[in-house]
Amino acid sequence: MAGIAFAQQSHPTDSQVKAAYLYNFGKFVTWPGANAGNGASFEICVLGRDPFGVILDSTVAGGNIEDKQVTAKKISSLQESDHCRIVFISSSEQTRLKPILAAAKAGGTLTVSDIPHFADKGGMIEFIPQENKIRFEVNLPATEEAGLILSSELLKVATRVIGKTGK
Amino acid sequence: MNMLVSAAALLLACAAFFAYDQITFRQSLVRTLSAQAQIIGSNSVSALIFNDPQSATNTLSALKNSPNIASAGVITVEQRPFAQYSRDAGDTVVNIPPPPEGRVEAYWFKTTHLVLVHSIVFQGKTLGFVYLRADLRELDQRLKRYATIAFVVLLLSLLAALIVSALFRRSVAEPIIQLAEVARAVSQDNNYSVRAAPAAAQDEIALLIDAFNNMLQQIQHRDNALQEAHDELEERVEERTRELVSSNRELEAFSYSVSHDLRGPLEVMNGFSYVLLKNYAAKLDSNGKECLQSIRSAARRMSELIDDLLNLSRVTTSDMHREEIDLSLYARTIMEELCRSASGRHVEFVVPSQVQAYADSRLVQIVMQNLLENAWKYTSHHERARIEFGFEEKDGSMIYFVKDDGSGFDPRSTDRLFQPFNRLHTASEFPGNGIGLATVRRIVQRHGGEVWAEGAVENGATFHFTLEPNRSGGARPNYDA
Repeated sequence: MAGIAFAQQSHPTDSQVKAAYLYNFGKFVTWPGANAGNGASFEICVLGRDPFGVILDSTVAGGNIEDKQVTAKKISSLQESDHCRIVFISSSEQTRLKPILAAAKAGGTLTVSDIPHFADKGGMIEFIPQENKIRFEVNLPATEEAGLILSSELLKVATRVIGKTGK
Repeated sequence: MNMLVSAAALLLACAAFFAYDQITFRQSLVRTLSAQAQIIGSNSVSALIFNDPQSATNTLSALKNSPNIASAGVITVEQRPFAQYSRDAGDTVVNIPPPPEGRVEAYWFKTTHLVLVHSIVFQGKTLGFVYLRADLRELDQRLKRYATIAFVVLLLSLLAALIVSALFRRSVAEPIIQLAEVARAVSQDNNYSVRAAPAAAQDEIALLIDAFNNMLQQIQHRDNALQEAHDELEERVEERTRELVSSNRELEAFSYSVSHDLRGPLEVMNGFSYVLLKNYAAKLDSNGKECLQSIRSAARRMSELIDDLLNLSRVTTSDMHREEIDLSLYARTIMEELCRSASGRHVEFVVPSQVQAYADSRLVQIVMQNLLENAWKYTSHHERARIEFGFEEKDGSMIYFVKDDGSGFDPRSTDRLFQPFNRLHTASEFPGNGIGLATVRRIVQRHGGEVWAEGAVENGATFHFTLEPNRSGGARPNYDA
């Protein structure tokens, strides 16, 4: 089953958890900007060296978000696709982060990465390992600048929300 | 009885109300729990998806504001506990079964708790379950509170009913019972002088009692007036009777003395006219002799008349001795005498034997004599005649009769028959002075009986008479009115 692949009885791997999270983020984010409605499918892109392999493909297989089929796509630059809703930025792209983030912001794409201090550097969601679990931080101003609306449900389960008073 | 009914009704109402309250309370409890479960469920979606039990625990901890929820929890779809909440430490529940297939919610009432399980569904997928465990102690407390209130209400209303019924009894029932008692006494003893005790309060009962007393007073007045009128009437009747009796006596004494005194001169006339006829017949011519004869016969008639008048007054004044007598014997004796006096007449005489009567023999003999002589006399113009004496029994009293087939009388004149000196026939037709039937009536009346006649011209006459008061009280033709 898509989306809850991590919840198998055998302990899921970090990659499996991250792949599931990538898929599930789509359910708690609204894309009201120019990007919304574009493309026939809901694309989840992996930029740079792919850490997931077939895991992401099998996670999204059969899944639907906004009544669109979810597909996983490997890209080497953001210019390759205009329709990436979510982009996972591999640690291989650490050096080119700034232009990538700028491009993503312009295209209204949700940026996710496990690069350390990704959120502090202007990324939107950063995976953080915590007590044998994968948690995440959110940079709220970055998402707002890109015109994205994150559900409060999502913010609630984030370990840290940058730019939000009270949390 | 009334109290029992009202107590039962009250208990029933309390029970019904309580049952209704229990049901609605349970329903509302389930609804509240369901709503809370839904809120917790939808707030736990992201926690489940992003595997953040802490977030779910935070959500659950909001339940501390619901004091009736003992414990709650979120369970993953694999029935693994994900987050827990309990009001008191250690109060945890494991092994909560999920809702049955096809349903998002289920609940169970246990003895002390209500357990509700709600599925957490996100975008068509079941992520897990929320369970809530509510304490039912509040329900118990409600029950106890209700029982207490019902008991108190029952007690109070029974007390009120008791007081009201006692008051009612004092103010309404008791005066009515007294009134009924008085009414019973009045109708039983015909004592209209009693009065019902007046009521203390000025209400309808008092009015009733007043009206009743007024009625009694009026009845008493009328009763008294009636009694007075009755007494007065009786007194007057007695007085009149006394006057009548005395004047009657005087009249009888007068008529007796007159009759008696008339006899003397008559005897003189009779005697000297006899002497005249005997000794001086030769000196008289035939015309003179005839005149003398007329004087003699008139004197004889007058003597008879005086005898009859004396008889009549004797009949009224003489004492009466009733005894058993045989009327057949009298009838036969009288008829034999009559036959002897006038042989050559063909008269059939019918009389049954042993016609008994309880009467004065001397007086009844006069009655029989008069009636039979009348029958003999009024059949004398017929060549053949039949005279019957007999009786019939009607309503237990004996009615005797003397019946002939003689010249009879005009039925219109029946009322004159029994009056003295009243004759329906002339003396030349039938001799007589009109005293006989009057005498008969007096004798019959002295016996307490009655006499009446039936007849028609040339068709015979029947004279009925009784010698005892009419016991049956039944109607009898009253011709001598």
